[in-house]
Amino acid sequence: MSDRRIGVYICHCGGNISDYVDVEKVRRAVQDEPGVVVAKTAMFTCSDATQQEMVQDIEEQQLDGLVVASCSPKLHLFTFREVAKRAGLNPYQYTQVNVREQCSWTHTDDYAGATAKAIRLVRGGIARTRLTEPLQPIKIDTVPRVLVVGAGIAGMRAAVGLADLGLAVLLIEREPVVGGRVAAWGAMYPHGKNGRQLIARLNEEIKQRENITLFTCAELVEKSGSIGNFNIKIRVGGNSGQGQEIITARVGSIIVATGFDNYQPVAGEYGYGIDGVLTLAEYKELLDSTEGKLFRHGREIKDVVYVYCVGSRQQSGENPNRYCSRYCCNAAVHASIEAVDKNPGLHQYHLFRDMRTYGKYELLYNQAREKGAVFLRFDHQEPPVVEKMADGKLMVKVRDLLTYSEQIDIAADVVVLVTGMVPRDNGSLVDVLKLPLGQDKFFNEIHPKLRPVETVVDGVFICGACQGPKNSSESVASALSAVTQSASILKKGFVELEPLIAQVDPEVCRWCGECTSACPYGAIEQVQYQGRAVARVNEAVCKGCGGCAPLCPAGAIDLKGYTDEQMKSMIDAFLKEIV
Amino acid sequence: MARVNPEFAGAVKESKAFNASACMNCGVCSAVCHMGIELLPRKLFRYVLLGIEEKVLANVETIYSCLLCKMCEVNCPASVHIAENVRFLRHYINKKVYQL
Ligand code: SF4
Ligand code: SF4
Ligand code: SF4
Ligand code: SF4
Ligand code: SF4
Repeated sequence: MSDRRIGVYICHCGGNISDYVDVEKVRRAVQDEPGVVVAKTAMFTCSDATQQEMVQDIEEQQLDGLVVASCSPKLHLFTFREVAKRAGLNPYQYTQVNVREQCSWTHTDDYAGATAKAIRLVRGGIARTRLTEPLQPIKIDTVPRVLVVGAGIAGMRAAVGLADLGLAVLLIEREPVVGGRVAAWGAMYPHGKNGRQLIARLNEEIKQRENITLFTCAELVEKSGSIGNFNIKIRVGGNSGQGQEIITARVGSIIVATGFDNYQPVAGEYGYGIDGVLTLAEYKELLDSTEGKLFRHGREIKDVVYVYCVGSRQQSGENPNRYCSRYCCNAAVHASIEAVDKNPGLHQYHLFRDMRTYGKYELLYNQAREKGAVFLRFDHQEPPVVEKMADGKLMVKVRDLLTYSEQIDIAADVVVLVTGMVPRDNGSLVDVLKLPLGQDKFFNEIHPKLRPVETVVDGVFICGACQGPKNSSESVASALSAVTQSASILKKGFVELEPLIAQVDPEVCRWCGECTSACPYGAIEQVQYQGRAVARVNEAVCKGCGGCAPLCPAGAIDLKGYTDEQMKSMIDAFLKEIV
Repeated sequence: MARVNPEFAGAVKESKAFNASACMNCGVCSAVCHMGIELLPRKLFRYVLLGIEEKVLANVETIYSCLLCKMCEVNCPASVHIAENVRFLRHYINKKVYQL
């Protein structure tokens, strides 16, 4: 028998559950389980009325355990934790049993089977709840300082944003100067601002703020600790090892804004290597550095061909870049307008696969056409071919899908390869931060829409083009979002972490190291205990994934909330009729 | 094979009468044309934009068989002045080919 006092609530979910599961039968089957003092069904357990009823039951019946059999915990785990809290019950003494996704939704053709399964699952939930202990969230004090890695437009803007929220900032840049890619650009669209001036202004803003410390020629070389309180080491100065200095600091969060690299075509790719074949970045340099007319080798540029999607949206090849770089269509169209403004009468031919001039960039596209640019569409199976002609001009041959795949030959002075963005080579930074990379080798956020700047490493955020191709305004927007996320953690002064984590019994552990190598988060470290080496779980780093526990040959690891004892009791409960 | 001739394209552009750069190649015009002129606006106008003069001149007959009824034009989602453009081409050909 059990001396626990547990309340069980089984949800109809409208008819979502009760149409396929006999909820009344489930209730009858579990009401006499040891420890159960309340067993009820409800039309909607998540409704205000039922929540109120639960609170009342917990208080009046002095319940010390709560089981809700309803939908997936993903949906309402926190809802029912709050119910428990409101009634003065420890939220970790509640168990959610999923009888919707796991029973009614999966077994629509088997009412009796779905019901029997639900009974077992609920019994398992009750068994686990019987062995729950009140747990407290792990509270960690936070350091009100942020490390920003990378002083391009995103990193600089993040630094200013953080400083204005009253947080101290350590801004580090690998290069000797700040500003990144944008610092090299002239006019930009849609705001019409000049990249160089934009960066100069941001730099001024940074200088005016006392709580921003900027280090150039600096790299992050070490990180330990966890969200709210990281210990970091930065190497500053001298590449050769001379004049180098290591600075240590404590920060509460880290924002990574290391930007992108331009795709570099290989020799021969669309004629790259032939004189006159330029990448978009090289062409942009020519445009930005020319006052007046555009010339090449003393000859006025009269015909330009642009080839889109170079290095992006490739389906095959050794290391294909399958993604669309998103900014290059806009950048090429913008460059072509600048070009025709410099050389009126310039003939421009854009060879594209799809035009991705979304949103207000569509206006730019219209403008380019109005100024005489012609757009030809090619099939990626039959890409254009670039050759050098005897007279020194370039010849581009392309099959134009819009003219019914007719082969069209265009003579050009300059061929611009519209190259996209590729991830920066961040090798050592990746090692230091243990950040996961996506398939495309850019840094990976947890969820592109729901948690767009967070990473699986708590307290480490990413923003700007290091997480995927972005234009400058999108980079700044994501930088500000990383600022907000950091501030919401650090301004409170502490973070609360889930206590459902692993725990090593030092009496039993004999330091074999199995768990350390199993842990994907590096949460287990070696410590001394009564003169012996044993394993210890860093509470702030452990995610409670459970990877270590089953591997321990000594059975020294328990996962709080899911202890071996709890798991065994759940299995026994599932198998009640059989055993 | 057809080679782009910027001079021809330039001559057309100069006139300002010809407008087809907004065409997005949707094909509505060909679909509604009761003369069944498949070549007109879409393909032919691209020859003009690209400056492929010989292709334009190879299709003189088609250019003259259009009724200028504007069925295509009123249905064009990009507001291309199709009939106006055809008129321009006839004018060009009258001068250039027939020396009228
Ligand atoms: S933005 Fe345009 S050019 Fe760049 S990869 Fe996407 S479709 Fe290709
Ligand atoms: S696996 Fe078990 S015995 Fe081995 S070090 Fe880890 S906790 Fe200790
Ligand atoms: S539960 Fe997971 S994260 Fe925690 S120590 Fe074990 S393996 Fe590491
Ligand atoms: S209907 Fe207009 S936009 Fe569509 S193909 Fe014809 S001319 Fe072009
Ligand atoms: S104007 Fe000419 S092309 Fe257009 S629908 Fe009439 S006949 Fe056909």
